[in-house]
Amino acid sequence: MPHTRDVPDTPPPFLGSWRRVYTATLVYLVLIISICYLFTRIYR
Amino acid sequence: MTPLDWVVLVTALVSIIAYGLYRSRGSNTVDRYLLAGKSMPWYAMALSIMATQASAITFISTTGQSYVDGMRFVQFYFGLPLAMIVICATVVPLFHHARVYTAYEYLEKRFDSKTRVLASIIFLCQRGFSAGLTIYAPALVLSVILGWPERTTTILMGATVVTYTVLGGIKAVTWSDVQQMGVILLGLVISLVTVIKLLPASVSFGDAVYLAGAAGRLNAVTTHFDWNDRFNIWSGLIGGTFLFLSYFGCDQSQVQRYLTGKSIAQSRLSLLFNAVAKIPMQFFILFIGAMVFVFYLFVQPPVLFQHLELKRISGMSEFQSTQQQYQRAFDQRKQAALALVEAHHAGDAAGEERQKLEYRAAQKDLDVTRAAAAKLVEKTGGEKGFNDTNYIFLSFVTKYLPSGLVGLVIAVIFAATMSASSGEINSLATVSVIDLYQRHFKRGASDVHYLWASRWLTLFWGAYAVVFAGWAGRLGSLIVAVNKVGSLFYGSLLGCFTLAIVFPKVRGTAVFTGMLAGEAAIFATAYFTDVSWLWYNVIGSVVVIVIALGITYLGPEPGPRVELEPDPLEY
Repeated sequence: MPHTRDVPDTPPPFLGSWRRVYTATLVYLVLIISICYLFTRIYR
Repeated sequence: MTPLDWVVLVTALVSIIAYGLYRSRGSNTVDRYLLAGKSMPWYAMALSIMATQASAITFISTTGQSYVDGMRFVQFYFGLPLAMIVICATVVPLFHHARVYTAYEYLEKRFDSKTRVLASIIFLCQRGFSAGLTIYAPALVLSVILGWPERTTTILMGATVVTYTVLGGIKAVTWSDVQQMGVILLGLVISLVTVIKLLPASVSFGDAVYLAGAAGRLNAVTTHFDWNDRFNIWSGLIGGTFLFLSYFGCDQSQVQRYLTGKSIAQSRLSLLFNAVAKIPMQFFILFIGAMVFVFYLFVQPPVLFQHLELKRISGMSEFQSTQQQYQRAFDQRKQAALALVEAHHAGDAAGEERQKLEYRAAQKDLDVTRAAAAKLVEKTGGEKGFNDTNYIFLSFVTKYLPSGLVGLVIAVIFAATMSASSGEINSLATVSVIDLYQRHFKRGASDVHYLWASRWLTLFWGAYAVVFAGWAGRLGSLIVAVNKVGSLFYGSLLGCFTLAIVFPKVRGTAVFTGMLAGEAAIFATAYFTDVSWLWYNVIGSVVVIVIALGITYLGPEPGPRVELEPDPLEY
């Protein structure tokens, strides 16, 4: 049985590089944890 | 279930399966059957990844958990974006460039045959165990809530899943997952809107959120650290990251989703979509549970939501006093809730604080009487560790949702079960064929032979899941431990893949020894300590890495790598 084929490695469709996409994801995580934290503090 | 509910349920399920099979035409080679010929767009993989992870118990149990304990569970997902970034940067390009069908196939290229076999067997044990429970758990809840026979439900769900998974392979699984995720999201949105509409006219949405928060049901973030507490921000960020690294990076049931991508970028986007969407989605599901809690502030809920057990203990003299206490506590809580809303509207800070204390005290009394009833169930021959969390949401749905919507919510339960189960049996068959059958039992056969082997093994694993589900009732409260059981095996796999990627000097024997030591450490932790299962992956993977590095750098110099039996994949 042969190997499956390799696939191309291309830049992301936005933000220009994968490093920037990962950084944006990290910023998003910090933002969403902050929102959850504020939500907890306001409604308690 | 009214005739309209049945129409909604059957229409949803038939259209999902028909569409999945329609999209899977031409799956007539092993590559197309197991990896869709690497042709999948990112959005199909993204929804398939999401649907595979979300089983029926995710929805049934998460809403119930929020009703009982608030929204702390959302912290479990805080590690997910971190894990996805690491996986996108490392294993996605690695697996694609290695041109592998399974994650464990890569381990033979990097280490040796025995490491690949050990990892495959660990996966088959862990995922094989959960494949049966994926079908059994919702069947059990539906049997109690709707009176459907457990066996009929498991066979119906199992046969449906096996049919489209055997016939269409991963294309049918993925495109069905896309549809199933659509049904799930639609059902959840309609459920939340309906819960809010069912609240008393005097209670606005803002009041409902305020009341849920005052009762501690909106505690999305808890910052204290406790080894034995499953859900706080630290166990989520550290333990959650390790768990999701294991699940998305080393578990073939997820790896196979993103190996179908038409490019590395498409595979990465599918994972990053989940990194972004998963926390809000879980927040949303938990919020539904919090709103069901507010609904039951004004409509008296049963003492226990598992009505068969409630019926069994209702005649007992011991239960009568509990019932009276419960009635009193409910009335007090309802009055306190209304008074609290009034004080909040009037801007009377002192009155608000006083009413809040009364409201919380009444809630505590209510919790105490519910715990006493659960204890009585245990004491009189019921399940050990009995709780009714899994019955809360469906009990509410079947009692208060209008005709048609009940059918939609049951379709959500079926869709979630089938999407999780199809991914499991599809990946179990793939590992059985690629890592064991064609590697050690039947080498060098034709593509058609392996295609049929894949189909037969898919049928085998589907039948196994249904039979296991029929037998799972005897496991009793072990059902509750499904996540815990998963965590018993993930740590050593994560340690193994970390060594493969990060430490180029490490060889197969060191990893193999480390994995056995890691498993021993995890089982010892589970057996002898109260450490929460979220930490098992951290402990297991660290032990594997430390032992393997110790053998590599402190042990004798290994000889040149000898591969006695060449891998037929190399020809």
